[in-house]
Amino acid sequence: MARTGTEELRRRNRAALLEQLHRHGPQTRAELTEALGLNRSTIGALATDLAESGHLQETTGRSTGSAGRPSTLVECVPKAATVAAVEIRARSVRFALVGLGGEVLERTESGLDEDADPMDAVAVITGGTAAEAIEAVAAVPGLVDAGVVAHSTELGWAGRDASADLEAATGREWRVVDTATAAAVGEWSRGDAHESTKLLYLHGGRGLTAGLVIEGRAQRGGSIQLGHIVVKPGGLECACGLLGCLEAEMEAFAYTEDIEHATAAAGLGDAAARDRLRRAGQDLGRALGAVVTATGPDEILFGGWLRELYLSAAAPVRSALAETTLPHLRSKLRLRTPVLGEEGPLIGAAEAGFAAVIDRMR
Amino acid sequence: MLLELTGLSKRFGPVEVLSDVDLAIDAGEVCALVGDNGAGKSTLVKCIAGIHAIDGGTINVDGRPRGISGPRDAAALGIEIVYQDLALCDNLDVVENLFLGRERRRGLVLDDDAMEQLAAETLESLAVRTIRNLRQPVASLSGGQRQTVAIAKAVLWNSRLVILDEPTAALGVAQTRQVLELIRRLADQGLAVLYISHNLNDVFAVADRIATLYLGRMAAVLDAADTTQSQVVELITSGRSGSLGLIDTNGVRP
Repeated sequence: MARTGTEELRRRNRAALLEQLHRHGPQTRAELTEALGLNRSTIGALATDLAESGHLQETTGRSTGSAGRPSTLVECVPKAATVAAVEIRARSVRFALVGLGGEVLERTESGLDEDADPMDAVAVITGGTAAEAIEAVAAVPGLVDAGVVAHSTELGWAGRDASADLEAATGREWRVVDTATAAAVGEWSRGDAHESTKLLYLHGGRGLTAGLVIEGRAQRGGSIQLGHIVVKPGGLECACGLLGCLEAEMEAFAYTEDIEHATAAAGLGDAAARDRLRRAGQDLGRALGAVVTATGPDEILFGGWLRELYLSAAAPVRSALAETTLPHLRSKLRLRTPVLGEEGPLIGAAEAGFAAVIDRMR
Repeated sequence: MLLELTGLSKRFGPVEVLSDVDLAIDAGEVCALVGDNGAGKSTLVKCIAGIHAIDGGTINVDGRPRGISGPRDAAALGIEIVYQDLALCDNLDVVENLFLGRERRRGLVLDDDAMEQLAAETLESLAVRTIRNLRQPVASLSGGQRQTVAIAKAVLWNSRLVILDEPTAALGVAQTRQVLELIRRLADQGLAVLYISHNLNDVFAVADRIATLYLGRMAAVLDAADTTQSQVVELITSGRSGSLGLIDTNGVRP
């Protein structure tokens, strides 16, 4: 039995080594030894193993500036494992083929007609490349659970089995995550939110969604319908049938179309625009208060057009948040804007795929 | 605490501009300094910068009392200030501005390559993507880009406390957003930031704590997470809000 034990340990270490290189880029063996807390010879054996399987390569490395032979760098071979990532939006589909180590090998984008089915567009845009990829992940704006899109304001879907439909269109298996969760994974792994243990990403598209990731991992049930939290009972009617949803109350659709215009007008002193922004900020803060109380995140990122809204209406957002959350929940809470911006969901979808790949190696 | 002011006071002749001001700023946080015109914000900054000599109180840096008697002393302690007018030279390029007065030399000549590389690294570390060409004269940059250069100039010198005086006052909406994100990033990278602004939205967007000056006295220093906009407005205009702030309201010491 001891034999299987060492074999398992070795497999785990191999996965850990690959994850380290994938996330943090080329490193010397000495740096790897320190980062993983493993023995030098163990690292050597693992690296040789992974080099044989084609995942890693060693290159003549960078000079450290001091005298002596430059140490060799260990790095991922991008083509050894690729992930196809797709982001579906109301009017466009974006595709990236990402290699091990995070290098984007291919990147395309195509517009979408009003009545076209995004699934067909995905099949066209991914072409033959999706078949080569070992994982394929699609980011869909809306409430997603286990491959099924329960509700999406942006796409007008309800209860659609997106993963089955994608499989039918492209002939391969797909993972489906919601756009906000994908972006959260992206910001955690490739942005600067890696210190956050419970990261909440708010995505403003046509409709508002949120995704909660714990230590950079998408969780089942982490997809949140932010836009349909009722902030004013008996208020304006929303497309979903409820009254006083956040989306309806903050006039989300007007902002989706032209947040630049609204904030610029407010900046130049348009009193009506200012008032609308203030109320939108207040409503967002109240809805966030409910989410923060329910989930207790330690960092919130305002993505999509919510970035603009937050930076222009931070005072009402934070004031409403202070009034609707408990002191111990808000004292450790950081409010930030994402660094990857528009690319976040696509990068994150790919990273979710790599997380699955590395998990399988363990 | 990186910087700790206790009982700071400053007079201009018979006028007491700052009286008994306490403020502490730690690394990794943005502390916003707000107050009405004439509340003493700029004077406080100039005292920290060593431009004005203080009449009373102490300035502690890293827990030790320091006499700051000039801008050079402040710079030696890692304190850098970005003024409203930016103090950039229009006829010089980005790199020359960043290193103005502190150029790197190699022997007798300037080490242009090293300076350019260091400038590029600094802008990269601040995730600045708006400035593409480091050799373009500053005159050709937009307001937001100039502000970015001025902030990068302050960060370049292993500074630990950066003081920003109204950095977004003259900027458009999109540029303001970029500068706000830049300010936040400075603090997230471990610098202490003292941020002076009149715009409460900007203050709430980046600040961890909000210090309100009222007629030369510190009305309150509050956690941004516990504060509402209306409380800060009341503190700015009347020096108190509910149980917060100064006991007397007319600015006269009891």
